[in-house]
Amino acid sequence: MTVTFQLNGEDCRFHGDPMTPLVDILRQERFLTGTKAVCREGFCGACTVHVDDEAMPSCLKPVGLVQGCAVTTIEGLSSGNQALHPLQAAFEADDAVQCGMCFPGMVMSLSAFVRDNPHASRAEIKAAMVGNICRCTGYERIVDAVAVCLDQARKAGQLVEGINV
Amino acid sequence: MAPGVERSFTAASTLEEALAARRQGAAVLAGGTWMMRDPRRGGQLPVAVVALHRIPALSKVEINADHVVIGAAVTHAVLVRVLHGVAGFEGLVAAAQGAANPGIRSVATVGGNLCALDFAAADLAPAFLVCEATVELQTFEGPKLLGISDFLEGRHRLLTEAIVTRIHLRRDLIASAHIRLPLRKAGDYPVAIVSLAVDKDKRCRIAVGSVEPVARRWTALEQAMAAGPASALDPERAAELALEHNDFQGRDGKEAEGWYRRQVLSPLVRRGVAALLKTEGLA
Repeated sequence: MTVTFQLNGEDCRFHGDPMTPLVDILRQERFLTGTKAVCREGFCGACTVHVDDEAMPSCLKPVGLVQGCAVTTIEGLSSGNQALHPLQAAFEADDAVQCGMCFPGMVMSLSAFVRDNPHASRAEIKAAMVGNICRCTGYERIVDAVAVCLDQARKAGQLVEGINV
Repeated sequence: MAPGVERSFTAASTLEEALAARRQGAAVLAGGTWMMRDPRRGGQLPVAVVALHRIPALSKVEINADHVVIGAAVTHAVLVRVLHGVAGFEGLVAAAQGAANPGIRSVATVGGNLCALDFAAADLAPAFLVCEATVELQTFEGPKLLGISDFLEGRHRLLTEAIVTRIHLRRDLIASAHIRLPLRKAGDYPVAIVSLAVDKDKRCRIAVGSVEPVARRWTALEQAMAAGPASALDPERAAELALEHNDFQGRDGKEAEGWYRRQVLSPLVRRGVAALLKTEGLA
């Protein structure tokens, strides 16, 4: 079966088993290895991507279900030549990244969250992170960075969604 | 899947198309969050699959003055958004909002939650039980309506020749609550779930999930609470009655042993009644 979808703004065509998990296509065929395949059960969040702007685990997404959809991976959030997404910038500024394994998923989950919840409280930020496991246990600094990101956006009178994504 | 066999994948755009694929043996694919884990459990993905996400009618929620209709392909996240603030459905919203994690809730559907046959810890099952939901099925012979209890008990047999299409709810609740006990804050299945509701006649409905293989109403406790109106909505008294009328056989599982699931029901009832008393309908 052939499945076509947008991947980081470009046309992407996959020919093969429609029940192949999206994460395997991203990593093995498109070499987008920022998306991590860790638990493959939807518990750890390391494989989170955006499908039509919604953050979801790509390990449980059969590629057949993304026909006609827009998929964004961590590589599509900022190309490296552009300014970072404000959340990525906040993580860098706050030195929140440790081993980096969970981080692409953490950024993809939380970038959707800050876009939709510009006035989120600390408790709401924590609730939004329950599906992203950080084995370095650096949660508090991540929460700090998200709070700073939201605070900066509010002070600038700008919603995070207005800056990027 | 055997080498050289090409998997059949139908993204049905009508119910008729979905049923035709089903007749030919295709398994129903909703959000995929349960089925996609089959290989991790030592199983195999089905050779033929029919996806329901392109059938518009199944992704709608209708909120009417006296009833609500929820399409089977509505996700947990959408259910939370549309029912948030609708009086009487606090428990259902809490069930959809507390299940799994945000990423899963964006994908996992109402129908999938009710049709995952081996999933004892489905949050929506006890929440729909206290709503006394009606499940609409499309069978090979035509549409069929079934009470949620009968559906849950008979779904192994029913789903061999039917697709769940909608859930119908009467708006006859004044308050409801949903209490779950996971071992961690998130990321695991709840050890036990207690859903409670109070209807317009002030009758208390209680259902339990995750303790036995299939969620069910706790009729013994409902009757005991109905017998003494003064005690009905007192958290401590309700917890005492829950202890006295505990007729559950806890299932052993990875997260907890059966005796523990059974044991925690009384405190969960106490928390549930306390939560009910804080809702707008009863406060």
